[in-house]
Amino acid sequence: MSTLRNVELPVVGELVDAAPATERSESPLAQALRRLRKSKTALCGGVIAMALVVVAIFADVLAPHSPTASDQNHTFETPSRAYPLGTDQLGRDMLSRLIHGSRISLAVGVASVLLALFVGVPLGLVAGFYGGRLDAGIMRLMDLILAFPIYLLAIILMVIFTPTAGLIGTIKVVGAIAIVRIPIYARLVRGSVLSIKEKEYIEACRALGVRDRSILFNHVLPNSLAPIIVTTTLGIATSIIVEATLAFLGLGTQPPTPSWGWDLKANVAFIHQNPWLALFPGLAIFVTVLGFNLFGDGLRDALDPRMK
Amino acid sequence: MRIYILRRLVAVVPTILMITLVVFVMMRSIPGDPVVALLGDAFTEEDAAKVRQEYGLDKPILAQYGLWLAKLAQGDWGTSILSGRPVLKDVLVRLPVTLELIVLSMAVALAIAIPAAIIGALRQNTWADYSATTVAMIGVSIPEFFAGVLLLLMFSVALHGTLPSSGWVYLPGTCPMVVCTGSVWANMMHVLMPAIALGIGRAALLTRLLRASMLEVIRTEYITTARAKGLAEKPVVLKHALKNALIPTVTVMGLQVGFLIGGAIVVETLFAMPGLGTFGIDAIIARDYQQVQGFALITAFAFVIINLIVDLTYSLLDPRIRYA
Amino acid sequence: MRHPVRNAAVMIVIAMMLGGVTAAHAQKRGGALRVAYGNEIAGLDFHVTAGYEMIWVATNVGCGLLSITPEGKFIPDAAESWQISPDGLLYTFKLRNKVVFHDGTKVDAAAVKFNIDRIMDPATRSSVRTFYEAVHSVEVVDPLTVQIRLKHPYAFMLHMLAAYRMGLVLYSPAAIQKYSPEDRRAGKPEATISCGPFRLVEWVKGNQLVMDRFDKYFEPGLPYLDRVTIRTIKDPVTQMAAFKAGEIDFLVDFSVDHVDTLKAQNPNAQIMTGKETTPMVAMMKVTVPADGKPMSKNRAPHPIFSDLRVRKALGCYGIDRKEIVKLAFKGQATPWLGIIPPGTQDTVDVTSLCPYDPAKAKALLAEAGYGPQKPLTFELLTNTEKAVFNVIATVIKEQVARLGVTANIRLVDKVSWLNTATQDGPFDMYVEDLASLLVVDQNAYLAASTAAWNSARHTDTKVDDYFARYARELDPVKRKAIAKEFQEFSVENLYWNTISGSPFYQVAQPWMKGYTYQAEFKVIYKKVWLDR
Repeated sequence: MSTLRNVELPVVGELVDAAPATERSESPLAQALRRLRKSKTALCGGVIAMALVVVAIFADVLAPHSPTASDQNHTFETPSRAYPLGTDQLGRDMLSRLIHGSRISLAVGVASVLLALFVGVPLGLVAGFYGGRLDAGIMRLMDLILAFPIYLLAIILMVIFTPTAGLIGTIKVVGAIAIVRIPIYARLVRGSVLSIKEKEYIEACRALGVRDRSILFNHVLPNSLAPIIVTTTLGIATSIIVEATLAFLGLGTQPPTPSWGWDLKANVAFIHQNPWLALFPGLAIFVTVLGFNLFGDGLRDALDPRMK
Repeated sequence: MRIYILRRLVAVVPTILMITLVVFVMMRSIPGDPVVALLGDAFTEEDAAKVRQEYGLDKPILAQYGLWLAKLAQGDWGTSILSGRPVLKDVLVRLPVTLELIVLSMAVALAIAIPAAIIGALRQNTWADYSATTVAMIGVSIPEFFAGVLLLLMFSVALHGTLPSSGWVYLPGTCPMVVCTGSVWANMMHVLMPAIALGIGRAALLTRLLRASMLEVIRTEYITTARAKGLAEKPVVLKHALKNALIPTVTVMGLQVGFLIGGAIVVETLFAMPGLGTFGIDAIIARDYQQVQGFALITAFAFVIINLIVDLTYSLLDPRIRYA
Repeated sequence: MRHPVRNAAVMIVIAMMLGGVTAAHAQKRGGALRVAYGNEIAGLDFHVTAGYEMIWVATNVGCGLLSITPEGKFIPDAAESWQISPDGLLYTFKLRNKVVFHDGTKVDAAAVKFNIDRIMDPATRSSVRTFYEAVHSVEVVDPLTVQIRLKHPYAFMLHMLAAYRMGLVLYSPAAIQKYSPEDRRAGKPEATISCGPFRLVEWVKGNQLVMDRFDKYFEPGLPYLDRVTIRTIKDPVTQMAAFKAGEIDFLVDFSVDHVDTLKAQNPNAQIMTGKETTPMVAMMKVTVPADGKPMSKNRAPHPIFSDLRVRKALGCYGIDRKEIVKLAFKGQATPWLGIIPPGTQDTVDVTSLCPYDPAKAKALLAEAGYGPQKPLTFELLTNTEKAVFNVIATVIKEQVARLGVTANIRLVDKVSWLNTATQDGPFDMYVEDLASLLVVDQNAYLAASTAAWNSARHTDTKVDDYFARYARELDPVKRKAIAKEFQEFSVENLYWNTISGSPFYQVAQPWMKGYTYQAEFKVIYKKVWLDR
């Protein structure tokens, strides 16, 4: 949500590159880490994100009941000792469903962004570095994807893939969201590449016969690292919201795999008698997304003090 | 300059066509077609074949696309397979609703962003600053539909129908229907909750941008000169900093339209609004090809044109950027 | 289950009493009724388009020969009287003199013939053509007398004309000739000309449908309402909010899950329901195309469900219908078995033939060769049209897991489901509620071995025999016996696997008077008036 297209971020790369390392006794990286530690928002967000990861990994251990076992004698229970967050229409424990649901949200959030990264960054590198027809071609494709409103493309892709349950279903959602995010990384990296391509020391490297690949990896890539990291973190937040929205429209990972978006949608209908059933998944999504957003924002501030 | 604008306008056309072609092909790759739903209980294989032939669904994809283009060139956007309704007419009926929703969402986003940014810029790095940014951050972390549901609960249920839960009343004079009451007040009541649900997500980005831009402007020489001249702090900030900061922000707002169109789909569905969002998603799910094409066309058109305007505004405002 | 039925009966009685009490007040003329649908209208060609939402418009904009009361009594519509010849082959209808279409042309025998001929013409692709299978021809005797000649006796000719779907709806021949099928489907008011109490003013899909009182309607003084507007609100929470705020007067099809909440929020609301006429089924596919081509005449047995023992295990003894009803419908539905739903004519309760018996189910599965060494796994298909489908599928999944069977749920959208389930696509079992039935005879197009929509793809012609015998038996007592036989046969073979009835609820504001609940068949605003 907070990612910009081509307005600010290429400048960040330049800045990190330009910060004279001799001014203080620390490297830019250490400076950044120090700022990060001081930032309250980043700390807050980081804790939340970490908590989510822990919950997702240890879901089986943490969840008191099975998230999918229905129990006809305990439907629509109010929150109690046995069922801290109540039960839903089928008598399933909400707390366990939320805990297991974190897996889907986290998996989709992280995987989609990583996939977009692994496809988008090389595309951007190649486009920026080699220029010419390759650049034009790749950017045309990226523009085409960017031309679609994010939800529209994700919706059409999911309808084509046909939403299913389980691992395959989740992979489909990851794929759909990743495809939509790829151009952001490609553009980002390309901009970064363009900004330093003409630098003298790059030309010197070439003159010395250093291979393109090492130039790309050793010089170009590190400069884009900062914006990539920030975009990735914020991208996780966006992906989680997109996943929840797709689930709300019935196009996400299908039941019985527990998913926050699906539970939110299914239980909104009961919001009058059993409001907690819809509020808790909604809160879960909200807190998670907030965490990643705060952390990403803190990262951005740490890596680019000029913005403060 | 004029030549540049003309060239960009011409370049817009292939982009729009490309988008509609991609949507066309994607829709055809969705398993299942609308013929079964169309024929309903009268379904027979022979009838299905006849219907497919009638609507050209048995021709190769590119040929079908060509046919669609040919009709489009004559101003005919086709008719919906399922309902027989002309697509263009329905699009024009729905467009003002979504347009109003998007514009007002942006207004909501600004209404949150401007105060937050001013607080942030004036009281930089204080608790007020952090709170303002956090409030904006909260807005961006709530999915639109959840915000919509909470608003619905609050205003329509808990407060007993203070705001209507669904439907639409057109602004006077714009109602496209025969049976219509136009009313500005009723229109505002209907659009308020959806606009808030959709707009709060955009506020965070705008806040950050506005605040950063304002800080930049504050640091420049001419503000310090103004201060040196003895002008009071607040009017200085508000008049000069805000005004200058709004310009790049507005251009970024244009880029946000993509998120807004997508979010509009969800919000319109929740609040049962007769806009383009519900038009599009219903068409996609029902495999109503013609309707989806109409939706893709108008969306792509709006999107591309807005991007163009944003780019042009950017270049106009910043004399340093020159386009050959 | 006794309770839902008794509660339903009580509710109907109360509704009728309320109707009776308020009938003492004079009906007020005027006002606009604001109706909310839960689904969009697909199209407005009454003869061609499918969907309840269209039917419920047709029953108000259209008129036919005759209609039917909830008690099953036939009442005149455009026809004032009718006679059936002793051999049951000739139906003579005498039309009222003063009935006109909305465009002023007369509703005469020629118009009736025109309409029936049109429906029976394959080129029209009418969705109700199969219902006219028994009709041989239609004759105009004189301008006000029309005769329908049948090929063979058909016990439900009058039922069919009155209420299969919307019954026969008459279009003005002049309008049909002047306008195209697209115009009709698109709901152009000038093309949608019939003879009902309301005339179509406009339909803006996704926005509203408006119908106004037809001043020249042949029943004097009716309708009371000036206007009816219909909006679509898909989400039940939004529906309830609109109802509570008084923005909507009538929810035509309200989801059973939220009835309690709505009652709590609106203690004076009129909540109407009755014995279910729509079945909720877990249909098992019995044959597959032998050559891989969908709808092929060459059939091969389905690898899992062609075996009757497996069908019995998973469709009869292995699922707990009471538990499904409790979880999916909060107990507000009737666990059921057999092809005739609980509220349909000549129905018989045969649920005792399939008690929940997991041990027996496991034994049957073992007999069929399934067990720990060869576990049974199958796919359970359902669609997103109603949230309850998925709930039921989930419960079934849990229940068969107790037998050691794995059911994988595949949830798709309605169109995909249509394309798969009804077009001989790959599926093992699906959960859906199908058509609401006034008479099981209506179901032939879904269950006969030759029917295009025979989704189980069974090839048992005995089913066709039952349908034929039932439809041609003119003696009601003998008919009831055939129905009982048919019902039991359907349980013995489980080509058609009903789990429960699918409840239908309607909700009206306390000031909406004069509405008679008639399940999904007739939603009629003719006698409705607003008491405020």
